[in-house]
Amino acid sequence: MLGTIILIVVGVLIVIFLLMWVGYYNKFIILSNRIKNSFSQIDVQLKKRADLVPNLMESVKGYMKHEAGIMKDVSDARKALVGANSSNDMGKRVKAGDALQSALGRLFAIAENYPNLKANENFLQFQNELSAIEDKVAYSRQFYNDSILGFDNAVQTFPGNLFAGQKFKSQAGKYIQIPEAERASPKVKF
Amino acid sequence: MANAKQEKKDVKEGKNQGEAKHMDFRDQIAKNKTKSIVLLIIVFIVFIALGYVIAIAFQLDTFALFILSTIISVFYIWITYAFSDKIALLSVGAKEADPSQYRTLYNSVENMSIASGLPMPKVYIMRGDQINAFATGKNPQHSVICVTEGAIAKLNKQELEGVIGHEMSHVANYDIRFVTIVAVVVGAISIFSQMFLRSLWFGGGRSSDNDRSGGNVIFLVLALVLAILAPIIVKLVQLAISRKREYAADAGSVEFTRYPPGLINALKKIKQENEEPMKVPDAVAPMFFSDTTKQRFAEMFQTHPSIEKRISVLEAM
Repeated sequence: MLGTIILIVVGVLIVIFLLMWVGYYNKFIILSNRIKNSFSQIDVQLKKRADLVPNLMESVKGYMKHEAGIMKDVSDARKALVGANSSNDMGKRVKAGDALQSALGRLFAIAENYPNLKANENFLQFQNELSAIEDKVAYSRQFYNDSILGFDNAVQTFPGNLFAGQKFKSQAGKYIQIPEAERASPKVKF
Repeated sequence: MANAKQEKKDVKEGKNQGEAKHMDFRDQIAKNKTKSIVLLIIVFIVFIALGYVIAIAFQLDTFALFILSTIISVFYIWITYAFSDKIALLSVGAKEADPSQYRTLYNSVENMSIASGLPMPKVYIMRGDQINAFATGKNPQHSVICVTEGAIAKLNKQELEGVIGHEMSHVANYDIRFVTIVAVVVGAISIFSQMFLRSLWFGGGRSSDNDRSGGNVIFLVLALVLAILAPIIVKLVQLAISRKREYAADAGSVEFTRYPPGLINALKKIKQENEEPMKVPDAVAPMFFSDTTKQRFAEMFQTHPSIEKRISVLEAM
């Protein structure tokens, strides 16, 4: 009688353990996939930014003939970003994106001196679009960092750490957070 | 106010509070999913219990009424649940927003969808000078965010993002489904009670003429008390849930925007500008970002916590 009870209890415990193991395994997979997916979201925005630049240059060209320096900076930064996209180094791609953003920032600052350009519908539209993309880059980085944090926490905290095998433990802490991007609006640090 | 304490504690904990809240927010989803199922089971039981008590009170064929009430309840729940989002949008006269016309609005929604990692919701717009918004849908894959024209005209980018972030947080937490189910439950119980009270008025005389009615008086009284109290209790529970969810969604919004002043300023503007009450059906009122009418009663009877309280909780973040 007692033997049967013990057997049942042990059986139930094993089943619970197995279910938890499966649950946690799936959770870790989902969380690590989220990191990859959220990085590709940053890429999408960087690509959009790079795609807008040639058209922007086209609309600016007529007005800013004497600003060859900045024009060259922007198109160089764009070329660097397109080149970096083919590499596997995430940090490099993000850095190239930042360089393009700052070159564009300088271009827009110089454009302040050209009233005709500032009144150009086309130019204004590009300016709005690029600042919207800037926000999206910032938010996608934030989500990328949040995803890393979510994965690391799940793997390293109790009881997740009991179920995370070597595979996940070695992954945790390996992902590098991207420094938060400057956003048009100030933000609080968490 | 538990949230306020939680936030303060988080601030003290320094660097780790972002993740503390993040976990909180995932737990909330699981809790909401379970609560939705439990609620559906409860409404089912209440329907059958009410049907049973009424059947005995009126000396009707218990089994037939049992079957009938089961069929009606399943049908009612299914219909209202299946069409809830469309009914809600239709009842306030919302229309899908044109992306080229509402560029800023689309950008805000897209930003919040990126920050939350959720699919892009459909964007709807409704008439009205009031600053308000709501979210609906069954899950994050099929969600809708609806904003008033007043909100677009009166809020700046950061404020609008705060409001959208709040709605996005309702989507992320599965509040949209939960609130829908709660509304379905409340509606079902009040319909059932009304039916019973009316039938008492018209048909009740028959059974009291009957000699055998003696033993049924207790059941009749029981049914009467149940029919009167059940809708009130469920309504109060619904309001309490709704208020609690608002604090959670405010916190969620800040988690997405990382910019509390946006939401705080939006709430301040609402306090100043929303003088005229909004004309929306009672059933959809709890879904909105802020109260659709001025608060006149004690907080117990409100769908939302007061704006002052929400602001003070946000300022503590």
